[in-house]
Amino acid sequence: MARKSKGRQKVEMVKMANESNLQVTFSKRRSGLFKKASELCTLCGAEVGIIVFSPGRKVFSFGHPSVEAVIDRFLSRNPSNHHLHPTSGTMQLIEAHRNATVRELNTELTQVMNQLEVEKKRGDQLNQMKRVSQAQCWWEGPVDEMEMPQLDQLKSSLEDLKKNVSKQADRVLILNTTNPSSHYFVGSSSHQPVIPNVGFNGNHHVMPPHPLPHLDGWNHPAYGHFF
Amino acid sequence: MTRTKVKLTYISNDSARKATFKKRRKGLMKKVSELSTLCDVQACAIIYSPYDSQPELWPSPLGVQRVLAQFKTMPEMEQSKKMVNQESFLRQRIAKANEQLKKQRKENREKEMTRVMFQSLMGKSQLHGLSMVDLNDLGWLIDQNLKEIDNRMKNLNEQDSKSQVQLQPTTLPVAAATVPERGVERQQGFELNNNVGMAVQRQQQPFFMDMMNVPQDHQQQQMAGIGGGYEMNMLPFAADQCQINAIWSNSSFYP
Repeated sequence: MARKSKGRQKVEMVKMANESNLQVTFSKRRSGLFKKASELCTLCGAEVGIIVFSPGRKVFSFGHPSVEAVIDRFLSRNPSNHHLHPTSGTMQLIEAHRNATVRELNTELTQVMNQLEVEKKRGDQLNQMKRVSQAQCWWEGPVDEMEMPQLDQLKSSLEDLKKNVSKQADRVLILNTTNPSSHYFVGSSSHQPVIPNVGFNGNHHVMPPHPLPHLDGWNHPAYGHFF
Repeated sequence: MTRTKVKLTYISNDSARKATFKKRRKGLMKKVSELSTLCDVQACAIIYSPYDSQPELWPSPLGVQRVLAQFKTMPEMEQSKKMVNQESFLRQRIAKANEQLKKQRKENREKEMTRVMFQSLMGKSQLHGLSMVDLNDLGWLIDQNLKEIDNRMKNLNEQDSKSQVQLQPTTLPVAAATVPERGVERQQGFELNNNVGMAVQRQQQPFFMDMMNVPQDHQQQQMAGIGGGYEMNMLPFAADQCQINAIWSNSSFYP
């Protein structure tokens, strides 16, 4: 079976032939290299310095505690261990603070990555559901493959639905006006997403990132239950 | 490839930490080497362990010095432009991950909303549970779909006028059949969507399911006599509409 990418496949250790593949490979591998270096530093308390020149003659560098510090340490070749145990109290404080920040950032990164994985899984699930329903319902399929009678039907059904949506929106609006504890201001929700969820038509609304209730067979909400 | 996900915190167990360090340092050197070879670029790595004052170097002490020298000849700005430490590198990665997360959420929301739209068409989905934001987005999505339909209709009409195929005779009966009925079942469809009573829906549902589960080829056989090979499956927006469709398909309505 043809693979989309060369992951988990053996790659020959020679300069890559294809120019653009080479660029992509450089970009990906450089990023991966820095990631590994960062992990080594966090996990084992190592000090690392890496310098890489790009195919485009730019230079990338990674260093912990900093590129300069590692280079200086190397060039000075000081046999003493003073880099391992900063003698000055201030230096110790600075380093402690820096380590704490790195710890926090690592935690944050892990959180975001986990959320990303959840969303990806949800996306796959939704794709699967769409495949299933497209097999059963012609109207969910591509419009480009439909003929006139189907288009007419679908169009009028959608127009009716649109009217219903409008009516419901009016109802919601009225309910909100008469009910001052406006449930639909999501901002007060305790489950704030890490980033605001943008309504995909470009309006900025903060939305809880969980699936719409009735799709999951939740009990039909009393109006405010959604949040 | 690790079997278990490694937690990104300092390893407190001394021997575990030392073992990890040895493994990972080796792996890192390998990765630098590969990057340098595959992409034909200059690179160097300096790794200080907590256990040794002497660093491990790649490609070699001399090689490192060469690359450092080359590095230092570059203008200060060029050196620092792509320079990162753990903190800045992590911030970059977090930013990128957040971007991807936002994008994925947006995609998922559109997919979910599309599902809601199609389920509503079938009278399966209540609009009551939707917030104002949801309703807005749903409305927008419906508009997008309507636009697509109009485009497709336009294309078809253009094709028709180009190829001069007379579709009029066969489409007219369709229109005639649906127009008088539309008024009636639209109301019922309306009620279907807005009826809070689940009982009403439950009655209709099995009916829908029956209609919807009619296998494709069965219907096509029925249609074969009609000519043009249209796939006239039902769009069960309302129960009665299904019934009507079923009636047409069985009748010898078409010449």
